[in-house]
Amino acid sequence: MNAFSFFGLLLIADARMLQRRVAALRRQSWLMMAVIGMFVASYWIAAYSILHFGFVSLAGLPGLGSLLLDRMLYLFFAFLFLMLVFSNMIIGYSSFFKSQETQWMLTLPVRHIDVFGWKLAETTVLASWAFLFLSGPLMLAYGAARHVGGWFYLNVFLLFMPFIIIPAALGSLVIMLMTRFLQRRMFKWILLGLGCVALVASLVALKPMDMVGAREAAFNQLLQNSRVALEPMLPSYWVASGVIAWGGRLDWRGTFYFLVLVSNALMATLVCVTASGRIFYSGWSRNHSQGEIQLGLPVFDRPITFPRTAFLDRIFDFPAGMHAAARALAIKDIRTFWRDTSQWSQFVIFFGLLGFHVINMRSVAYDWDNVFWSAFVSFLNLGATSMTLATLTTRFVYPQFSLEGRRLWIVGMAPCGLKQVLLQKFWLSSFASVAITLTLTLVSSWMRREPGWLTLLLSATVVLMSFALCGIAVGTGALFPNFGSTAHRRDDNPAKIVSGFGGTFCFVVSLTYIVLIIGAEALPFYFYPAWAKGITETYSWAVVGSWIFTATISLVAISMPMSLALKRVESLEL
Amino acid sequence: MIQTEHLTKRFGSLTAVNDLNLRIEQGEFFAFLGPNAAGKTTTIKLLAGLLKPTFGRALVGGYDIQEEPTKARRLISYVPDLPFLYDKLQPMEFMLLVGRLYGMSRGEILSASEELFDLLDVEDVGQQLIENLSHGTRQRVAIASALLHNPKVIIIDEPMAGLDPRSVRAVKDLLKARAQDGVTIFLSTHILQIAEELADRIGILNHGRLIAVGTMSELREASGEVGALEDTFMALTDEEEREEAPESI
Repeated sequence: MNAFSFFGLLLIADARMLQRRVAALRRQSWLMMAVIGMFVASYWIAAYSILHFGFVSLAGLPGLGSLLLDRMLYLFFAFLFLMLVFSNMIIGYSSFFKSQETQWMLTLPVRHIDVFGWKLAETTVLASWAFLFLSGPLMLAYGAARHVGGWFYLNVFLLFMPFIIIPAALGSLVIMLMTRFLQRRMFKWILLGLGCVALVASLVALKPMDMVGAREAAFNQLLQNSRVALEPMLPSYWVASGVIAWGGRLDWRGTFYFLVLVSNALMATLVCVTASGRIFYSGWSRNHSQGEIQLGLPVFDRPITFPRTAFLDRIFDFPAGMHAAARALAIKDIRTFWRDTSQWSQFVIFFGLLGFHVINMRSVAYDWDNVFWSAFVSFLNLGATSMTLATLTTRFVYPQFSLEGRRLWIVGMAPCGLKQVLLQKFWLSSFASVAITLTLTLVSSWMRREPGWLTLLLSATVVLMSFALCGIAVGTGALFPNFGSTAHRRDDNPAKIVSGFGGTFCFVVSLTYIVLIIGAEALPFYFYPAWAKGITETYSWAVVGSWIFTATISLVAISMPMSLALKRVESLEL
Repeated sequence: MIQTEHLTKRFGSLTAVNDLNLRIEQGEFFAFLGPNAAGKTTTIKLLAGLLKPTFGRALVGGYDIQEEPTKARRLISYVPDLPFLYDKLQPMEFMLLVGRLYGMSRGEILSASEELFDLLDVEDVGQQLIENLSHGTRQRVAIASALLHNPKVIIIDEPMAGLDPRSVRAVKDLLKARAQDGVTIFLSTHILQIAEELADRIGILNHGRLIAVGTMSELREASGEVGALEDTFMALTDEEEREEAPESI
């Protein structure tokens, strides 16, 4: 069977399955669909409005406006290119080596290189669609600021097609070489190392800018710092140049960059398929020949030999009052999480992005002596942190109880009972969340030299929010368990559990809680200017009142779902 | 039809399959037995071309599975213990996809599928999506899809897992009929009665080494046991453990 027939048959099957998924969406609860629709629409409207305002303001700057606008696009596409390479590497690893479908395809009478070609196409789509979706409002706002017609958007869409192929080919080639020539257990460490290098590089590269000085000097510094995105050999440079050219109605120039992208995308595909296609099967076989080798951090994975106690067991010896069963479950949860690369990589991406955001905040110039502005940026940070935390608790904590589904026969029948299981999940997820969010908040406060009282306020808030969001996730997870989705599967898939009604409900409740808390805490700063002038005492009372409100709502958010869930598991039929 | 020459697979320091030499003729029903972690699934993956051997080679229909994989795989059907199926397709849609991948016409696929579904009792779930089928029905759909293109060699890992007695009977009858038609069956199982009932020859693998191979009577003779296969199996594997014991101590 030739490659085209093979791809054609799989395309037909995929199209049919996509049609079924869309049909299944229509049968989902209207609440879930409305919430998803509302979030998508809100994102596009909010992103478009902010970006359009920014573009128009920038374009209005005499002399420098157009230059700054262009530079921003070059930077955006450079960042997008890096993200796409990384995303293709992670998704490609799962798609090429971990998918059961790949194993099935390798037993078919088709060439290995054709299986690789199909998986490359699949990886490209899966790794790129979200980035394209997210960059949609940016292109719309840019087009509107440039007063272009509808043809601009069609051209940009065409320009994006070859652009996404280049990072896909590059990312797949890198992952293929790594799998073929490196030990699998080194894999996580290499990815972790790359993440650390990226973090250190951003710490070094993103230097705070003194915007208080002369505007010209500040702009010069800005342009100087962003020159790396103007490297003409970067695919991001070609796509940005194409967008700018078509935005400025320089059609021939735009076409030139489109052709540059097409030719390079074809070349990248040729190199990737020829080189990777040859080593794909060897890499696959090698990857599946290392099953017996322990993975991950040695201290987590070291086999337990008696009488020596494993590292994790020693750690959990510390909480003296901890129930033995809760300790055992906590150790099991940590080990399971660490060994599940798919969960681990998503977790790193979530917090990597958040960490990048926090580090980036210090390079944004503000008048830090102004308490109003300082608090405004702090609450912006708190909002980003808590939104990410809500996404994480919904994605990782909510499915925890359902994931015990096939194991409930043992944990449910154990003397500790399901109540203990539920409480253990709450405490473990809460402490893990606090460790991460508190660290980010403290680092962010320290970098921005926030006043002590503000650091204390934000830290206390983030601790309360971590407990509350975990309470909501664990509670709703037990109230709406989904034990059925894994019945036929060897691999438990938390994403499938989250995608039901319960997951949506958990996310909506979490977001409502965040809006209430941040709204309540930010409200007193409305009165700050008057208080600073000594006009009113309302500000002080508002601060106290907002904190009482925050604490009360958080306690309700923890206790209500948890107590309902504890009652629910008492009567749960296994 | 199937031949292995010094087939060896190592996972780091662990030798999963050790110098396996085996010859299985056309139309032979060969059962592969062994305790857990004996190397059965690894051997099967080597025969199906899913893993590269560390040493040696495997030939199917005269084709080296590593050198001429496409030609060899055209002759093979491989059914793993947990087979892959597209959850959002209906059983017949999956059969159409598999049949087309093996170059069959729509008419051939439909008639062969109907016959197989009838034999395996899958017909009444035609309109349901695969994701809604029970484990046993999914297993039967997987077996039907594997037999669709009339393979010359069927490599099948634990086919009876999760099947009810009626389905077990149907699968056994089907495989036996195929063997009588000249198809070579390589079946890995833990259920000794099935091996005893169906197999022309039985191979016993332990710690990656083929410790015994032959017909039931040849194995009985080798083990000195006269009873059921279970006694023979226990005698042969116990003997192997005893021989290995001094080394491990």
